[in-house]
This record gives sequence, C-alpha cells and structure tokens, in this order.
Amino acid sequence: MISRVARYVVLGILGLLWLLPIYLLLANASKSNAEFSGSQLWTTGNLGAFWGNVVDVFTTTNVPGGLGVSAVYAVVAPVIAVILGACVGFAVIVLKLKHGFTWFFLVFCGTVFPIQMMVIPWFSFSANTGLYDTIVGMIIIYSIVALPFSAFVMRNFFTGISESVFEAAVVDGANVWRIFTRIYLPMSTSALVVVFILQATWVWNDFLLSLILTQTSARPVMPLLNALQSTEGGGPGYTVTLTAALLVSIPTAALFLFTQKFFQKGLALGQY
Amino acid sequence: MGPGVVLVLLAMYIPVVYTMYLSLTDSNGLDTPRFVGFQNYVTMFSDPSFLVSLMNTAIWVVGTLIIPVGVGLLVAYLSFGLKWAGIFRIPFLIPYALSGVAIGVVFNFILQNGGALSQALAFLHLPGAHTHWLEVAPLNTIVMILASSWQGIGVNALLFIVGLQSIPKEPLEAARIDGANGWRLFTSMIWPLLRPSTTIVVGLSIVNSLKTFDIVETMTQGGPNRVSETLGVTMYTDTFQSSQYGLGAAVAIFLTIVTVAASVLYLRRQLAIGDSSGSGKVTEA
Repeated sequence: MISRVARYVVLGILGLLWLLPIYLLLANASKSNAEFSGSQLWTTGNLGAFWGNVVDVFTTTNVPGGLGVSAVYAVVAPVIAVILGACVGFAVIVLKLKHGFTWFFLVFCGTVFPIQMMVIPWFSFSANTGLYDTIVGMIIIYSIVALPFSAFVMRNFFTGISESVFEAAVVDGANVWRIFTRIYLPMSTSALVVVFILQATWVWNDFLLSLILTQTSARPVMPLLNALQSTEGGGPGYTVTLTAALLVSIPTAALFLFTQKFFQKGLALGQY
Repeated sequence: MGPGVVLVLLAMYIPVVYTMYLSLTDSNGLDTPRFVGFQNYVTMFSDPSFLVSLMNTAIWVVGTLIIPVGVGLLVAYLSFGLKWAGIFRIPFLIPYALSGVAIGVVFNFILQNGGALSQALAFLHLPGAHTHWLEVAPLNTIVMILASSWQGIGVNALLFIVGLQSIPKEPLEAARIDGANGWRLFTSMIWPLLRPSTTIVVGLSIVNSLKTFDIVETMTQGGPNRVSETLGVTMYTDTFQSSQYGLGAAVAIFLTIVTVAASVLYLRRQLAIGDSSGSGKVTEA
C-alpha cells in the first residue's frame, strides 16, 4: 500500500518537473513583447497577448507559408512511400519474387545509412537538374527516405497473412493487380496507417534535409522556425518565436495524441 | 512499380558510392574534384574540431544511454499496473510530439544567460545562477543531452511498457510467493525478462544519439568555436558552411561506419522479430 503511494508521489513529482518547459513555453508565448521583461520569465501570461502573438506570427514572419509547404510534404511523400513499400512487401512475400530477400535487404539497408551519407550527391544532383529548392524535388527526396522503413513494415505484415488467401484468389480467377488492390491493401489498412503516421511526423519534423536542400520557395517550417531565433537584422523577439514553436508543434502533437495506440504499435518496429 | 523501386534503389546507392568517391577528392562543390587519396582522412583525424566532435558524440551516446533509458525504465516500472497510469504518463509523452527544432527553441529560452533556469536558481538562492550554460564545454553538451532526454524518455517508457505487458504473470507470482519483492524481484526476474525491450531501446538510443543533429544545430550551431559539435553537425559544417566537400564526405563515411557497426547487433534482433512475433504485433494494430 505504502509502495503504491510512493509510486504515485515519485511519478507525480517527476511529471510536474517534465511539464515545466511546457509551462514556460505557454506562459511566455502569451506575453506581449511590451509586457515581456527579461526578469519575469516565470510569471503567467494572458490570452489576449497570446492572440496578438499568433497574429504577429501570421503577419510578420514567413512561418505560415512554411506550414503550408510542410503540410504538402508530410501528406504526399508518406502516401507515395507507403504504397511503394506495400508493393515491395507484396512482391517479396506474396509473389515470391526471384531473389526477393536480396531485393528486400537492399531496400532495408536504406534505413541503416545516416542521411549524411547521401545528402551531398543529392544536393549536387538537385542543383544541377533544377530540383533544388522545389516542392517536387523535396517530395521525391522525402519519398525515397521514407520508402525503406515502409517496405520493412509492410513485408513483416504480409508474412503474417496466410498463403491460402492468395491461392484462393488465384483459383477464383483474380489477377495479381486485383489481388493486391482489392485483397491485400484493404487487409493491411492498420499497418499502412501506422507507417503513414510515423513517416508524416518524421517529414514534418525534418530539419537536416530541408536545411540543405531548400532555400526559400520550397522551405518547410522547421528551418524557418530556427531562423526566427537569429537576432541579426532584429528577429521577431522571444514571445513571437515561442508562439511560432508552439504553433508548428500542434499538428504533430494532435496527430500523436489521437493516434497514441498506433504510435505504440509502430514504436516497436524501430526507427523512432 | 518495379521500375519505381529500382529508381529508389539507384537514388540511394549511387549517392552512397559517390560520397565514398568524394571523400577521396579535394571537391569544393564547384571545381572538378581532384583525386587526393586518403588525404581527407588524414586531415580529419588531425583536425582538433573533429576530435572534439568525436568526443562530444561519445558523450551523447553515453548520456543518452544513462538518462533517457534509465528514467524511461523508471517511469515505465513505476506506472505499470497503477490506476490512472495513462494520465500519469502524459507529461512524458507530450515532449515526444515536439520536433527537435521546437525543443531547441524552448531550451534556448530556458538556458540562455539570465534565462528561465538562471532566474529560478537565483530565486531559490541556489548556486549556478550566473552559469553560462551554452557557452562552456562540455557543460553545453551535457545540458543539450538533458534537453534531448526531456524529449526521449516518453518513447523509451512506452517501449518498456510494451515489454512489461508481455512478461508472463506466473513466474512473477511464483517468485512473490517465494518471498521475492521490490528490488530483488526487479533485478532477478523483471530485468532479465525485459531483455527484448531493453535491446530495442538501447539499440535505438545508440543509433539515434550517434546521428544527433537537430538540437545541437538549433541551440549552439556546434559553437562557440565548434566546441559542442557532434559528428552530424561537423559533417554539415565542413561540407555546406566551409565548402570542404571532400572532408565532409570523409566525416559522413566515418559516421556511417560507426552507425552501421552499432546497428548490426540490434538489427539482427529486429529482423528476427520480423520473421516471427513482429508480424503478429502489427496485426493487432
């Protein structure tokens, strides 16, 4: 009984400690620049000032454009990667592609290499082909980076589906494409969703690739947020920067809270 | 779809080979690269900023193993089986949803000179109110590891909880009846049975900490004077700030070798999961 109480107390104290940075973020994102004084960082703010900061983020910074660009990347690239990944898994496991494991292994090794290993040639290639700082170029890159993990998960998922499903469908006269789109894809909705959520979060939060491969028109929100911190040329000030940090975190936080169960399943699959 | 997959493979593997080639040249991104043999590797290992970066990366790996793994296990173990456990875990899960850049922005605000931490320490009359947290090595690396731990503990706790859930009840009950409890029960029963989860958590922590970039680039840009760089930041700085593409490629290759070596043990485990129980796990989702 006492140990139970002690567990609650330790967890509670640790939890409050963990919430302090969130408190500081919220408190100072809701102070106006005028109210904001360097010596009063722990006092609470007010909703009016928060709204003023939100308006400032949307009218005086380039974050809103970045939000739109990030949204496009975070939706389109994971969809492409999930579908291609399902194709790889289907070909290797269900169609028993010749040398299937070798192909799968080649794709899978892509999850092992750090991005640093590939980014210099990608940078040179995109600069030479006009794909540098374009939305299309970034969607291609994000799809490539996301494919190996999605192929890995989909292959594992398809190993769990009985071979008799495929055989029965063949006997019924369905062709391979039909079997894939009408039977295997619908059966694997949950796995497809897990992969999509994990990859969408990863793309939304990406900093390294977007920092290197974009400059202005195709720049997503994370490098833009980072640039707000710069005091050269007068940054927007801490209250507005913190508000921007809060705003760009809302989509992934919401996705995470609403799909926590999916996350938990996906976590065991690695990478994150 | 086949050609698409082949294109993706080419888009991954040609760059890998090209980076290897670049590391043997004096490429600066503009002029035609000239072959220089292993000169970049010699330069790299005699470059003080690379050696500092190597040391910092080692600190990151060790720090990430001690704090997020240790506290993650503590949170999982304390909350496991408690009523309202879900609510008590929320504070640890919120940071996980934030990006590395957002965390860098928040912790820059907390750790700057005269920032929130310094003010709190001054208010409580504790020492350290005038510490320059982000300007002195290795203190800046340590506080950035703490910032990263703040984010990482929730994931590790979730992974450990999945592990705790999969431990069979009977042997634990038997041990309890035999009089084992508390610390004894944990060290001799639960810890050994948790090993599959521990392998995943430790493997992920090592690999991810080796690749550390976002938080360092956002908080200190590796500075001041390159004292807080990690290998990921050094590669970025050498290549894209100093235009030493050959040297940057050499750093990238070193980072890759270390990461792949660290991955091997844990990937073996992962592929094994994929063949048997792993597929079952996804089916439940």
